[in-house]
Amino acid sequence: MAIRITGIGIVSAIGLSVAENLDSLVNGKSGIGPVKYLEVDRDYLVGEVKCSNEEFADRLEVKTKSASRTSLLGLAAAREAWGKNRENSQLRTGIISATSVGGMDKTEGFYRNYLDKNNPDYHVLKYHDSGNTTEIIAAELGISGYINTLSTACSSGANAIMLGARLIEQGKLDRVLVGGTDALTNFTLNGFRSLMIYDDQWCRPFDDSRSGLNLGEGAAFLLLENDKSSRISGSTTICCLSGWANAADAYHQTASSPDGKGATLSIQNAIALSGLSALDISYINAHGTGTKNNDLSESMAMLNVFGDNLPDFSSTKPFTGHTLAAAGAIEGVFSSLAIQHGYIFPNLNYKTPIAETGLVPCTELQTWEPVLAVLSNSFGFGGNNSSLVFSVNKWND
Amino acid sequence: MYINAASTISHQPTFQNSGFSKHIESLETDTELMSPDYKAYIEAGLLRRMSKILRMSVAASVDCLKQAGIEQPDAIVVGTGLGCLQDTEKFLTNFLTIEGLLPPTSFIQSTHNTIAGQISLSIGNHGYNMTHTQNTLSFEHALIDTFLLLGEGNNQILTGAADEYIPFLDEAAEHLLPASKLNLTSGASFFVLSNNQSEKSLAKIKDVETIGLVGNIDAAIDTFLSKNFLNVSEVDLILYADFDAPSSMVSNAYQYFNEHYQANSILVNYVRLSGLYPTNSAFALHYAVDKMQQHPEIKKVLIMNGLNKINLGLTLIESIEA
Repeated sequence: MAIRITGIGIVSAIGLSVAENLDSLVNGKSGIGPVKYLEVDRDYLVGEVKCSNEEFADRLEVKTKSASRTSLLGLAAAREAWGKNRENSQLRTGIISATSVGGMDKTEGFYRNYLDKNNPDYHVLKYHDSGNTTEIIAAELGISGYINTLSTACSSGANAIMLGARLIEQGKLDRVLVGGTDALTNFTLNGFRSLMIYDDQWCRPFDDSRSGLNLGEGAAFLLLENDKSSRISGSTTICCLSGWANAADAYHQTASSPDGKGATLSIQNAIALSGLSALDISYINAHGTGTKNNDLSESMAMLNVFGDNLPDFSSTKPFTGHTLAAAGAIEGVFSSLAIQHGYIFPNLNYKTPIAETGLVPCTELQTWEPVLAVLSNSFGFGGNNSSLVFSVNKWND
Repeated sequence: MYINAASTISHQPTFQNSGFSKHIESLETDTELMSPDYKAYIEAGLLRRMSKILRMSVAASVDCLKQAGIEQPDAIVVGTGLGCLQDTEKFLTNFLTIEGLLPPTSFIQSTHNTIAGQISLSIGNHGYNMTHTQNTLSFEHALIDTFLLLGEGNNQILTGAADEYIPFLDEAAEHLLPASKLNLTSGASFFVLSNNQSEKSLAKIKDVETIGLVGNIDAAIDTFLSKNFLNVSEVDLILYADFDAPSSMVSNAYQYFNEHYQANSILVNYVRLSGLYPTNSAFALHYAVDKMQQHPEIKKVLIMNGLNKINLGLTLIESIEA
């Protein structure tokens, strides 16, 4: 399998564009810090996008000024990935976004006023449903027809990329903008705290002392094209999406199985579909949230698949925070950048290997070897496990 | 693709009631969900914590798999417009009113994919597990995904849709759509879909299309019908959704089929049967399938989902003999 990736766009805690994100990754600059933009009632360490809604609405010149932050973040990333492309009657074009909170950033403010009987504005509820966040992005870009939203918690972004590839593969679309977006909300901050997996220190994926995640927010989109579309639009191929798979862990609603069953399946099946072997993978961009449970289960899955030949791996969540439904898309952009520039990004905040596995992630930026294929993992609540394989542009065009 | 089993829990007597399409009439207001004895379908330990949408979905799924005579589908695909509202509302209220430690259950179960996740957990399924949420087109998107899965060599897919009513929706509707009196309901419909015809096959889904931010509805229907080599007059029954229009006389379906093409088609507004929820086109699919079993002369049914004016869903169903 090979689908062309011809455009990428991103906003995250470490930058408002692809260039800014790459610069932060290369220079080891984390975007995680105390809350600045969201109204919260306690201190948290978070990966906020450094831009208020008003600044975003102005920058993006959006028609729907009252759109949710989720839509605004998504639109910023989608515009960058879409670039100068236009509607073209010869090309069947679609958009698939992923979100877990949808317009919750608006709804939770409404609901506070509602409970306090403080003149709540019911109209913001029109932006609540997840599908609406995508429709607003589609309308701003002038895309109609196949407009879809996936919501599978923290694997959503990866699933949007996968679905787009499958639609192209089966000839349903010629090009599709795929990605994910999630704004930081009190709903999710309180949610992960109620699960006792919110770390009040910096998250430490794959470290023995890890004790939870830091939430982030952001969005990323990738433009996938088939040969016809790429020829007509005259685009340059950055790299390929060559493998994908989703599997259910069926172990517990939130916890991952200790043997990493679902994750092992998704990794194996994605690599098998790509036509590559496990030995061809140069780098694994891990899900690596920093929770006790995920990192151990994911380590077991990596060992199940790669055994003694585990390639370099790292979690980039200490840069961005865990951006939930956007994570798979953000890390899809990072995986594309790894191939494009030959970089392997460091796993910040790591000191000591996990006792049970002894695995050591990559902790320094590596620039000296070409990166030919990247495996990116995204795992979510409900035992939803997804893996993607990105590889070099096989056409060399 | 073939529909080898169908199961619906709704405000109508649809559950385990083959032939229901003969008996049901327009839904009165203030009706209740007709819940089966969930204990017969869901393990007590899991059932205890499940909200309405989870109970409906897991029970309908289990029933559907039993009807089809399969234990494990190759994949589970779910559409939901608004997801797990009961748990979402509960967690919102909790964190806005409780100081200190919060119970996590309602947060855990607030994500849209709890439905598909709980189905996989209940039956121990490790296959592809997906959740589509494109408001009124969520179910159609789940069907399109199912077509892709069957094209990739999978053979038995459990596909469905669910949405749940909570009283808050009435309040929201009163403020947002003050002019209309909406009959808001809950419902879950699941289907076993396959490439292979079996003696259990009820009907087949010929094609599904979604047109988001639709411009010209008539042109979209023209294209869809001609893609499927169909004349307007060949569609025996049109199930349409148009809750803004109290009378079918002004609906897009009527304009297209009976005014424009003078086809004298039979039109049924399925929102009147199911009540209003974002994925009630899944109810319409089950209704169509049931109707076709009762009336062999009905060979082709079109579901025209215009529940939300900006979006259009088109689903073409054919009888096995067609």
